[in-house]
Amino acid sequence: MATREYAEKEKYNGEECRLVPPSDIFETPDEYSLKLEMPGVMRENLDITLDNDELMIRGRIGGEKEETMELKYSEYTLHDYERKFMVGNDIDRDSIHANLENGVLTLTLRKRESVKPKKIEISTH
Amino acid sequence: MLTYDIFDNVFQLRNVLDSFFDETARNYRGREYPFVQRFEGEDEILFRVLVPGVTRENINIELVDTSLVIEGEKKEDHSDNPYLRRERMFGKFRKSIKLPYRVDPEKITADMKHGILEIHLVKSEDAKPKKIEIR
Repeated sequence: MATREYAEKEKYNGEECRLVPPSDIFETPDEYSLKLEMPGVMRENLDITLDNDELMIRGRIGGEKEETMELKYSEYTLHDYERKFMVGNDIDRDSIHANLENGVLTLTLRKRESVKPKKIEISTH
Repeated sequence: MLTYDIFDNVFQLRNVLDSFFDETARNYRGREYPFVQRFEGEDEILFRVLVPGVTRENINIELVDTSLVIEGEKKEDHSDNPYLRRERMFGKFRKSIKLPYRVDPEKITADMKHGILEIHLVKSEDAKPKKIEIR
């Protein structure tokens, strides 16, 4: 029991810690738009995968030079980011668009043609 | 080797609750947006400010006496469309940070990358200690 408790503590205090980026999801008739706040993540450290219906977003922190100065005061801690979303059948899996700007990741998931709203013409005889 | 013990889960829950009340209360009490980290070196200070979604044009940094004032606005980037989930915050902010010593107003540099604002300050000449010779 003791070993397990120790292991969990390590996990909590160490690198295994993950941040869940705050996210907004918006819907328009054509697409879903996801916005995730991931400050400190560079383009090349971002990893987005769609596996079946799981959309996984991971962002690694770092890659920049280590700070030589001493940290004296802190209101936040940065960790790697990780968040998973479940997506439905209504998105076009081949046209997912991602854009990273000012620490905000925008994902655009287009809806499939077949689920988009269609106007039905009434034919009169 | 580990054996399953029903009390493990009970203690685990206690740890979760403890850390929630301890750490959030201790570390993050009364912090004001935007959140900062302060690094100090020899005669220099570096602030790292978390400002995801704020553009360069919408942020203002001022030096007022021995305080650094960070002011700006995080504009909403999606206002009309219906939302399914909303967790991000928007609006105007203003934060004043007291500096540990006077800094040289000419040598302040600020840089914004990946949603983190870095402000670098250098100690002013007249705030440095001076050795006085005895005649």
